Amino acid sequence: MPALVLLGIFMVYPILWSLWMSFQVGRGMNFSFGGLTNIMRLTQDPVFIRALTNNFLFLAIQVPIMLVLALFFANALNDSKLWGRGFFRTAIFLPCVTSLVAYSVIFKSIFGLEGIANQSLLFLHVIENPINWLSDPFWARFVVIAAITWRWTGYNMIFYLAAMQNIDRSMYEAARIDGVPGWARFWYITVPLLKPVILFTSVTSTIGTLQLFDEVNLLTMGGPSDSTMTLSLYIYNLSFRFMPSFGYAATVSYVIVVLVGLLSLIQFMVARDRRA
Amino acid sequence: MIRITSRWRNTLAVALTGISLFSVTAASAANITVWCWDQNFNGATMQEAFSRYQASHPDDTIKIEIFDKAAMEQKLQAQLASGATDGLPDIVLIEDYRAQKYLQSFPSSFEPLNSHVDYSTFAPYKVELATLNGQTYSIPFDSGVTGLFYRADLLEAAGFGAADLENITWDQLIEIGKAVKEKTGETLLPIDPTSSDWIRIMLQSAGSWYFDADGNVTIKDNPVFKAAVETYQRLMAAGITTPVSGWTEYTGSFTSGKTLATFSGVWMTATIKANPDQSGKWGVAPSPRLDGVEGASQASNLGGSSWYVLSSAPQKDLAIDFLSEIWAKDIDFYQKILVNQGALGTLLAARDGEAFKASDEFFGGQPVWQNFSTWLAAIPAVNYGIFTEEADTATVAQIPAITSGGNVDEIIAAIDAQVRQQTQ
Repeated sequence: MPALVLLGIFMVYPILWSLWMSFQVGRGMNFSFGGLTNIMRLTQDPVFIRALTNNFLFLAIQVPIMLVLALFFANALNDSKLWGRGFFRTAIFLPCVTSLVAYSVIFKSIFGLEGIANQSLLFLHVIENPINWLSDPFWARFVVIAAITWRWTGYNMIFYLAAMQNIDRSMYEAARIDGVPGWARFWYITVPLLKPVILFTSVTSTIGTLQLFDEVNLLTMGGPSDSTMTLSLYIYNLSFRFMPSFGYAATVSYVIVVLVGLLSLIQFMVARDRRA
Repeated sequence: MIRITSRWRNTLAVALTGISLFSVTAASAANITVWCWDQNFNGATMQEAFSRYQASHPDDTIKIEIFDKAAMEQKLQAQLASGATDGLPDIVLIEDYRAQKYLQSFPSSFEPLNSHVDYSTFAPYKVELATLNGQTYSIPFDSGVTGLFYRADLLEAAGFGAADLENITWDQLIEIGKAVKEKTGETLLPIDPTSSDWIRIMLQSAGSWYFDADGNVTIKDNPVFKAAVETYQRLMAAGITTPVSGWTEYTGSFTSGKTLATFSGVWMTATIKANPDQSGKWGVAPSPRLDGVEGASQASNLGGSSWYVLSSAPQKDLAIDFLSEIWAKDIDFYQKILVNQGALGTLLAARDGEAFKASDEFFGGQPVWQNFSTWLAAIPAVNYGIFTEEADTATVAQIPAITSGGNVDEIIAAIDAQVRQQTQ
């Protein structure tokens, strides 16, 4: 019973209140009921549309790269003959426990105009002029994707590793005796058995990417020209940088809620179809 | 046993009385908390002001907290919105562009100071910025009067002296930049493509802004806005700029001699003078004016800020007393911060002081303060309104398009559409 009360105060009430907020219009602390005004506003808001596109872009590029990498690392580190397994596992997992601010600052300095990235590339004669990583729309997106991948690959790898340890060794031995090559053992035994975990990681990664905020805020502030703007950062700007517009910010956050729900549903459906 | 207990009780009572007496004396010495964003500039001037106040209030202390400017603004806004006043300071520095936004969206969060300060002693435009419904909420602080700061020694090497930079247009400046590049191979200006500072300087120099006096959007069909965007585009196309990202790279570029000049508010003086080995090598010229624009002037403004007292402040009365005592009256104080921090305050009487008449050896003996004061008087007044942040963001979003030579009319239409959408 106390749990229900707490849940009511800290979960149900804020959710209902924010839903109510999303129909309010007005600036600062003065609002009034606006009906569907905020939803109409969404459809004509160029920044919202750019942010939404960016979110999907990051989702489409970064999540597959990260999950494939994680699977690859997990498989490599699951090899019991590999020397220094513990070290590599820790090394790859470490990024996701580093302080967010610290790693963003380091990424920012690596990709500064005179950062180590430019200096190495210049030294190796890969480029002739320094790349303006954080002020060029294409490269800014590249840096953001690199940063998130670096941070979260190890996190997903741990799930795969744990699941791989649960696969019965005898299946691999049987396959080996039958002369199944290494890649086929991975593709036809490991991957299908990891399916529930892959589903889990892709759902959590999708949610994480739709809520992407920290990296873009610290690295690029959403720029240049909104090329790395995300929905979460836009919500933040609407509330705390611009003339505060809390009602509209709440509407944008409900867009994320709906998207997370829809995408998770699709992922579950896809996974279920294959199993049948 | 009983006797021992009662003896202990007596000791305890005496001790408690002592503590309570101590805390009474402690309460009369108060601590003011201030939020601002620049150690060398506004932080240092605030420290200097308080050390003067301490002469008559020896027990009081001050705690100056320095933040990243954007972070401080967002922290303040988040706290005001949440209504949680715990942890807010007594005094906060607010940039002029944002003053009306805070005053209008968080009514009764700031303290009106009309009954404590004679506002006729301050520059009228600064007072107006902080006035809402007949109440004024700030102690006006620095002006953002702009100038062209340049390396006199390096420009001299390319054949340009102070007279060549006097009373010129932006296009003449671009020609100078090209000539310098040809002769010395050096780039004239650093430019941050994630900032709209220079477009704002151009707009205000011709008495225009993103909004008119009534707060309506004036971007499309505004000849000044078009001229500013076109000038920016010519500036980028001329190859006389070095791209920088962020404040540190920007200031590092001209203080290290990689670029030869920059446009900025007078407050940049503190940053430039922080390199004493460059003394005598710098000069300041008036801002260039826009070509072919009616009402174009040689004076503009960038930034500028004022002190505000929060209504929720625990030491509100002390903070007001301190601000009105030093910041609104002490003319000698303004001479000192002018010389030490390059802080051009807006208390009118302070401009008759000695320091304002002096020439500065760092700038080759130019009478820089007098020049800035003259330009200050010529700044066209504009209405910053409450949506400058939104308009800036919309403009910055189009800077890559401007730089890559995009169609100016289409770019302006896009900025206009975004601003209208965001300010509805």
